[in-house]
Amino acid sequence: MRLNARTFYTAATLLTATGLLVAPGLAFAAPGEAGHKHETAAIGEPAKATAKTRTVQVVMGDNFYEPETIPVKAGETIRFVLKNQGEFLHEFNIGTATMHASHQKEMAMMMEHGMLTPTGINKNMSGMDHSKMGMAEMKHDDPNSVLVEPSQTKELTWKFTKDTALEFACNIPGHYESGMVGKVEFKR
Amino acid sequence: MHTARHGLSRRDALKLAGAAGLAGIITVYPGRRVFAAADQSLNLAVERTRITIDGETSGAISIGGSIPAPTLRWREGQEVVIHVTNRLDEGTSIHWHGLLLQGIMDGAPGFNGFVPIGPGETYTYRFKLRQAGTYWYHSHSASQEQEGMYGAIVIEPAGRDPVRADRDYVVLLSDHTPENPENVLRKLKVSEGYYNNNKRTLVDFFRDAQRDGLGATINDRLAWGEMRMDATDLADVTGYQFLVNGKGPRDNWTAVYNPGERVRLRIINGSAMSIFDVRIPGLPMTVVSADGQNVVPVKVDEFRFGVGETYDVIVMPTEDNPFTFFAESIDRTGYARGTLATREGMEGEIPERRPRANLTMADMAMAPGMDHGSMAGMDHGNMPGMDHSNMPGMEQGSMAGMDHGSMPGMDHGSMEGMDHSNMPGMDHSAMPGMKQDATGSKEQAMGWGDAGTPPGAKALSYADLKALSKTTDLREPTQEIEVQLTGMMARYIWTINGQKFEEGTPIRVAYGDRVRIRFVNTTMMAHPMHLHGMFVELENGQTDRMPKKHVVLVPPGQATTVQLTANEPGEWPFHCHLLYHMASGMMTRFIVEPRTASL
Repeated sequence: MRLNARTFYTAATLLTATGLLVAPGLAFAAPGEAGHKHETAAIGEPAKATAKTRTVQVVMGDNFYEPETIPVKAGETIRFVLKNQGEFLHEFNIGTATMHASHQKEMAMMMEHGMLTPTGINKNMSGMDHSKMGMAEMKHDDPNSVLVEPSQTKELTWKFTKDTALEFACNIPGHYESGMVGKVEFKR
Repeated sequence: MHTARHGLSRRDALKLAGAAGLAGIITVYPGRRVFAAADQSLNLAVERTRITIDGETSGAISIGGSIPAPTLRWREGQEVVIHVTNRLDEGTSIHWHGLLLQGIMDGAPGFNGFVPIGPGETYTYRFKLRQAGTYWYHSHSASQEQEGMYGAIVIEPAGRDPVRADRDYVVLLSDHTPENPENVLRKLKVSEGYYNNNKRTLVDFFRDAQRDGLGATINDRLAWGEMRMDATDLADVTGYQFLVNGKGPRDNWTAVYNPGERVRLRIINGSAMSIFDVRIPGLPMTVVSADGQNVVPVKVDEFRFGVGETYDVIVMPTEDNPFTFFAESIDRTGYARGTLATREGMEGEIPERRPRANLTMADMAMAPGMDHGSMAGMDHGNMPGMDHSNMPGMEQGSMAGMDHGSMPGMDHGSMEGMDHSNMPGMDHSAMPGMKQDATGSKEQAMGWGDAGTPPGAKALSYADLKALSKTTDLREPTQEIEVQLTGMMARYIWTINGQKFEEGTPIRVAYGDRVRIRFVNTTMMAHPMHLHGMFVELENGQTDRMPKKHVVLVPPGQATTVQLTANEPGEWPFHCHLLYHMASGMMTRFIVEPRTASL
């Protein structure tokens, strides 16, 4: 891997600052900043699917979702079945626009470091021990997000606790900007 | 369409509506379906007009009543009909830049049987849209394009557009001179440096060193003088006003957005002679399309923009701030400027101007196989007063005893305190504006590729372009064609393989063949090379996602290779898109021949 110390330092700073990618025990948010836990509570929480859970099929293309709007009710749990019909790696991430913006920086770094490639996840690197270099393990393991490789199908079950402005988005570099984002529309 | 409404000015929209109203009179060809008229056919008149830029009015030519010409918004798969009426007293033409179509509809006089549209005549173009994306249209006759004959084409895809935006704007860059374009060319031919405001006369120095045999120590035979060019030859015509959608910097074309919206800018370099560095300080641009073809989105802070190229970018301004769209010509004689704002009338800050780059010998790294012998007619007689008599063992680094005082045009005023009489191992770094340090400096950028991009900022490179769809023809090319870009600045002769248009041999390829073209730029200027009729695929390090281009900007002294599948039969223009380079001979025929008589 071609990384210099400075990049790692920057990476470490960014990761600890956002707390999003750091192993839970090591996470600490800077004062005044919205902590991960708090925001997660606002956006909802991961849940277990049961027979009664409503299923929503989402198709991922290059670089878009179909559908682009998903109606939900506050308190509802939804099982998302995510099918990647494109040729590139895509993400399905539930969060606020602000959360997506900061996650995009992390994704760009993972891409730059080779942990993610445009078409997949580099398995050899995702379990890499970065501790020797003064940073926590870099992992894409947020509960509100799932990566789907081309021609794969994955699932994410999510409980939407309360009505708030949410987007489902792909934060792979350039995808969000070119419109790979949809709206979670809260219905009464 | 919601987005279209924002992109069209009200005036353009009215014009299009007017044109649509006249579209009832369409010949219906037997066996063809009846056109639904309206959005598929229109009338465009070409006529002399006046254009007012930043308060100054000068003569111009318009298509469809405006400059730029109305944006043509079409949909992939449509068959379009355009009646072009020539109201000039000279022949004209309209070329649909980047569109795949039948040869005669390409609109280049002298090719594919197309003849100029005579005064008072109407020519009907008819073609089916086989592609989507951002393209443009312009005159292919004389210098009419420069006088205002250019407009944008936006073709919506038949299927889903892989890009979603809340706003959609055309940003058409151009360069306008109140001078008659024919006069510009005449002046260029009389004096090569007529428009060169920053002339360096070291050129002459090297040239004479060569003549006097003192250049034995200059082992690089591609010295400036031999090329008869200036180290500052970034652009050869200046005095332009640079326009955004026909508006000057003070007119301030404005694109309106609401914070948080995705804004798609379809940026077209429709200028005659100007290569730009384009940026929007404070707003990163995500490039989603190059030359109308979708690319894997790549986020950049700026890009270098060859004449004839197009880039679609997405910007996402989240705050209620005015942002300046800033396109500096690479010779830094001026800039095109527009504004992205939440309402009309706002102005962003005008960024600090970037330094002009001085070309270096590194920009001449190319040209193996360059035939120096063919540069006949080098005239050294007109260098009055240069005293070379006492230059023993002259080399680039030590210019002992050179009499700088007699070099006409050299700006000594900026070299304060420099002792010309005693220059063993002349240190260029001490001369402001002549710093040879490879890293460059604030005051001076070195080398063609140095756009003055600040550290940490990302400038788009061709290597970043990756086609969103995979390359369909993966065959190894069976034919390789070398296209040498050649020229003599002093005589303002620009050529391909050393030969002017119609004096050289056309390029012939067989229909269906996979072909590689190797551009070898032996000159000191970048040449945006444009092939009509087909896309070329740029060999930029991508294997199965080579980006498709209709214009390839070949840097000075460099080689660039492209591939193509010769699947469009015809006799296509293949030329440098710098208008005066094309006019002075930098053009050839690219003939795709039927393989057998039956084809």
